[in-house]
Amino acid sequence: MLNKSNPAAAAYLRMDIENLSDDKPEKKGTGLLRKPSSVKSSGLDLSNPAVRVGKQMQVIRNYRNKINGTSD
Amino acid sequence: MALLTDEPTFDRPIPGQSLTAELGGRPWQSPPQYSNIDEVMDFYMERMSSEEFMMQAIDILEMGVPVTTLANTIQMANVMEGVHTLDVSMLALPLIMEMLMLLGDSENIEYDTGLEDKNPKTRDTLLTKLALQYQDVIDEADLTPNVDAGEAEEDTQEEVNEEPSGLMARRD
Repeated sequence: MLNKSNPAAAAYLRMDIENLSDDKPEKKGTGLLRKPSSVKSSGLDLSNPAVRVGKQMQVIRNYRNKINGTSD
Repeated sequence: MALLTDEPTFDRPIPGQSLTAELGGRPWQSPPQYSNIDEVMDFYMERMSSEEFMMQAIDILEMGVPVTTLANTIQMANVMEGVHTLDVSMLALPLIMEMLMLLGDSENIEYDTGLEDKNPKTRDTLLTKLALQYQDVIDEADLTPNVDAGEAEEDTQEEVNEEPSGLMARRD
């Protein structure tokens, strides 16, 4: 039974890193003063701290999958 | 066996003693060392990559302590030490768990993630038992209505032809 006083399990299960959302794509400016788009945007809302954590987790998960031999 | 004696113990904290410390005297009452998730992630990545931490964590995982419990203990200790706040630690928890699982996988340990529901209660409930017991009966039962089609049609026509009889009914 999941321990209800421990938030770790719920926090982990809610972190859906397989389908990291791209709900807020970066706005593209059209004016002369717009930022040069030298870096290609991934479509992720990196201003969201949870997304940044998810990205970090994704790297570790991929490494785990490599170790376990379950990577694609 | 001090617990079995009837003697009163006087070495316990008195009620409200936890509130007598000077405000800001505790580490968690002062501003945290790291205030945002990026700094906290860097802190944990560096801390958890150390040889000392890895050896201790592996020992604890081998003892059968679930990853969720260990991760929660780690974040709680750091909140109490004033390293980061509790809300930032909620964000960092999945990352701590992932790192601990990586440690377990790299050392080839059979660890408990703490994510599985070991005692699902739904199968033990009376309703589930009854449903399983009578499932065959329900499946075999003929539940189609056994009414004559002609009678049913007449009934519906009578209902339609019924004239309104209330006070507000329209008069011809």
